[in-house]
Amino acid sequence: MNTIVDTAPRRGLFAGILHRLIGLVRNPHGKPRALMTITWLYMIWTIVPVVVAIAFSFNAGRSISVWQGFDATRWYWGDPVHSVLHDPGLQAALWQSLKLAGLDMLIATPIGVLLALGLARWRGYGKRPANFLMLFPLITPEIVMGVSLYLVFQYVYVFIDPSTTAQVIGQVTFSISYVVIVVRGRLMSIGAQYEEAAADLGASSWDSLRLVLFPLMLPAILASMMIVFAISIDNFVIAQWLSCGAGCDTVPIKVYSATRSAPLPSINAVAAIMVYLTLGAVLLAFVLYRFLTRGERVKGQAEGGLTQMGSVDFN
Amino acid sequence: MSEENNNDGQNKTLDGVVDRLQKHGMSRRQALKAIVASGLGVTVSPLVSRVAWGATGPGGLPLARPGNPVTLPMNGNPIADGLKPESGTFTVFNYADYLYKSILDDFGAKYDVDVQLTTFANMDQCVTKLANNDVEVDVTEITPDRLTQVTAGKLLQPINHSYIPNLEKNVWPELHSPFYDRGSRYTVPYAIYTTGIGYRGDKISEDIPNMDNPWSIFWNAQEYAGYTGILNTPRESIGLAMLYRGKTNLNTENPDDIDQALEDLKALVEICNPQVNMTQYQTLAQGKSWLHQSWSGDPLMNVWWYLPEGQSAESIQYWKAPRGMGPIQNDCWAVPQMSQKPVLAHLWMNHILESKNAMSNFVNFTGYQPPINSITPQQLIDDGTIPKHLSTCISEPEDLGPDSLQYMTLTSEGQRMWQDAYARFVSGA
Amino acid sequence: MYPRWLWKALALPGVLWLVLLFVLPFYAVIAVAFGTVDPIFQNPVPIWNPFNWNFDNTLKILAQFLPGERYWTVFVRTTTYIAFAVSISLLIAYPVAYYISRHARRTKVLLLVLLVLPFWVSYLMRMLAWVGLLAPDGLINSFLIWSGIDDTPPNWLGGHDGTVIYALIYGYIPYMVLPLVAALDRIDNSLIEAARDLGMTARQTFFRVTLPLSKMGILGGCVIITLPMFGDYYTPNLVSSSPSTSMLGNQIYLYFHGGPQPDVGATLTVVLAIFLSILMAYYLYSVAKAQKDLQ
Repeated sequence: MNTIVDTAPRRGLFAGILHRLIGLVRNPHGKPRALMTITWLYMIWTIVPVVVAIAFSFNAGRSISVWQGFDATRWYWGDPVHSVLHDPGLQAALWQSLKLAGLDMLIATPIGVLLALGLARWRGYGKRPANFLMLFPLITPEIVMGVSLYLVFQYVYVFIDPSTTAQVIGQVTFSISYVVIVVRGRLMSIGAQYEEAAADLGASSWDSLRLVLFPLMLPAILASMMIVFAISIDNFVIAQWLSCGAGCDTVPIKVYSATRSAPLPSINAVAAIMVYLTLGAVLLAFVLYRFLTRGERVKGQAEGGLTQMGSVDFN
Repeated sequence: MSEENNNDGQNKTLDGVVDRLQKHGMSRRQALKAIVASGLGVTVSPLVSRVAWGATGPGGLPLARPGNPVTLPMNGNPIADGLKPESGTFTVFNYADYLYKSILDDFGAKYDVDVQLTTFANMDQCVTKLANNDVEVDVTEITPDRLTQVTAGKLLQPINHSYIPNLEKNVWPELHSPFYDRGSRYTVPYAIYTTGIGYRGDKISEDIPNMDNPWSIFWNAQEYAGYTGILNTPRESIGLAMLYRGKTNLNTENPDDIDQALEDLKALVEICNPQVNMTQYQTLAQGKSWLHQSWSGDPLMNVWWYLPEGQSAESIQYWKAPRGMGPIQNDCWAVPQMSQKPVLAHLWMNHILESKNAMSNFVNFTGYQPPINSITPQQLIDDGTIPKHLSTCISEPEDLGPDSLQYMTLTSEGQRMWQDAYARFVSGA
Repeated sequence: MYPRWLWKALALPGVLWLVLLFVLPFYAVIAVAFGTVDPIFQNPVPIWNPFNWNFDNTLKILAQFLPGERYWTVFVRTTTYIAFAVSISLLIAYPVAYYISRHARRTKVLLLVLLVLPFWVSYLMRMLAWVGLLAPDGLINSFLIWSGIDDTPPNWLGGHDGTVIYALIYGYIPYMVLPLVAALDRIDNSLIEAARDLGMTARQTFFRVTLPLSKMGILGGCVIITLPMFGDYYTPNLVSSSPSTSMLGNQIYLYFHGGPQPDVGATLTVVLAIFLSILMAYYLYSVAKAQKDLQ
């Protein structure tokens, strides 16, 4: 995990784009012209549809596909029946999503951090299998995890019914590995020298854990909390398989069932609220991360961190 | 197979299962609990095996058909007359979105209790949860095709009619003692619906009601490819293909009939590539679907709740088959054995059969008609509740005769056959 | 400095959690797949002891994977969709990743932020966006009619293979671009400069140096989107829900929730997992081989 925009031109991002465009006009034979066009078209193609979907949450009419005028409030709180504020189903789903994401974050992060520490430093028998085991949830299709958890709660852990509890347990199961990946990356870059120094200065192992290692790991812990929150709040499959019915609906489940039938713009509104929340959480985590790692930044680290946020190395 | 042999076989199966479960480290108590939960335990009940005849359903109970009424065995005694309603929290078990919230609130206010709703996604889940004691509920919605299973599993308690005067007073006489539960020992009816064809009058050029075989519209819907749909339940989809061929035994277990229906359904994929879903209650109005196998409540919901601004109600049409030629079904309320508040449960049944409440639940929320005497097509049209052209969405008591078509309990093998054929259809193979 | 047992102890809760809630649950799937059903409710009765496993049903189901049978058709359809989706994704993602990692200078960070953005938007939200755009009266069809390209555009959501493949690409491509960028970033610039110094043209440099060096990134990107696509059932449901576009995941889902026969669903899940393990093993093998080659 690393920082996001430390090499960003502070004088305005658009100056860069403008510069490229001018360069393009001046030098039409510049090599990467086609590549650049493809890249920007790709960006537009991935992002604009979502922006359009958010825009439809401000539709004045009942359609999510035909623009019927602008109404900033109708589907958020204006409509007395169908707006997010007045539809108890949508509200319950919003709370359920936040509840799952929050609990997942609080449970998966400590377990994952400890596992990362253990895996990074444990020598000898059992390390490789444990490492292997940790990677599996990352590559297992969600439907396979959904089926297995669904069946294990039905036949083995019979005291847990499909419920919020089951949903949290399921989400924690696949979140742990993400925490491990992020925290372990940080541990590798820290190395052991700080703790060794602390030991030389006479710190006990507990003190060196608490006073040296933990503060150094804190940025990664925060980053992984944010990632867990984000993947949990967007999770659909596990939440659906372990759902107890209407009372366990999360926003993605609501979006799914509404999209399959005839959604109202209130669905766009509630999905948009999730986007705002997730982006807000990411931004908050980013600011905190910057704050905690101030002074250790090296120019050029930013991209590495960025690419790590979404991708997972198998090694 | 003689009765005794049958019974023996079942006992052997049961012993085998207990044995196996114990071998795998389950305590006897756990094993028994699991078996009771799975419904196996009932096979040893002598009461149950004694009533077996002919083709039997789960637990050896006879299979009810409209022309073959069944009296379900009594499982204990109903509650005594004149008991006082309990206090505390009263829990209703139902589908989500299948009950108007005001009805619950009114009931709570009337008897000074908290009322809460616990939901299930489908009937399988409902029965499984009741069987496993996974829920604590006081009254439950149930469909007649599951009654055999749940009474065999002793999941319901008999009801005392003295608490439910509205059954005699308000409900269609045909349902005072329905074929699936002679004497209404366990159930009162809730809503009644037909399966027909919902379509867009402004998009479909054929005059469906006047076609020789309206069901065949799906097999002639090349023009409407991408806009047709079929219900995503094994019984309804395969049943549609059977009706198309003029076969009206919708509880058949004849493999040839089922295979033929499957072939016909597969042919549909080439003809109009139907969607297989249950969203017709809104997509017809919205225009995502023009021709969809529908239940009679769906067109009303389209018109009442989902019609886009400025679109005429005439655009939504519903065809139902003539009497005895198309499916008509109803669902019920029953009191689970586990109910802690059986008196309130009885009062609930009476409450929901109050004409005013039933009507309000129907027109303000579910779109599904209760079988109540005062609710007639003419009256609904006169007071403007439903548009005249949708009077087809309303059934009448005479529709429920002994020759009516209803999807009912099958034998276990039969059920697998239907499910398997359906799975083949939706695999698109 | 630390006690020897400490790290194992720290790892214990995590390992235990994964054993109890990842490994054991998968064993439950196997026990159900090789189990029996009770005669009344037709509910599965899992068999935990491998020596008692019942393979009758499994064989029947496996027989349906033979050419011409039903799961064969579904499997071929699923694989075809995924093959198209993955290769088209690669054709789009590679140039994008290449540009970002090798040519974008000032805009690199901005582009990376934009690249990561879809990760923070729910998959379902992104599908909802396209369901709105592709609706019969949606913006895409309005545009086609307005521009005169097609006066009677089809209902894209009415069960088209192309729509499902398209939705899969849109849904999963962000997961492919990032590993590609990472792989291209890792290529040592001096290698490329050396190639140019030795007189290779830009084209030769790309095909003989850059492309081979990014092979692992390509494979990784393909694997990372192939695995979840094989378990997908919601994408075809959202943009089609027609039997003609049903994928393997849809069949699994059906057996658990549609017309329930969880034992069949469990068997299909085991088959899927085994198939994907083979894919994964092949990937790991090629990674190991490539690393050996580099040394």
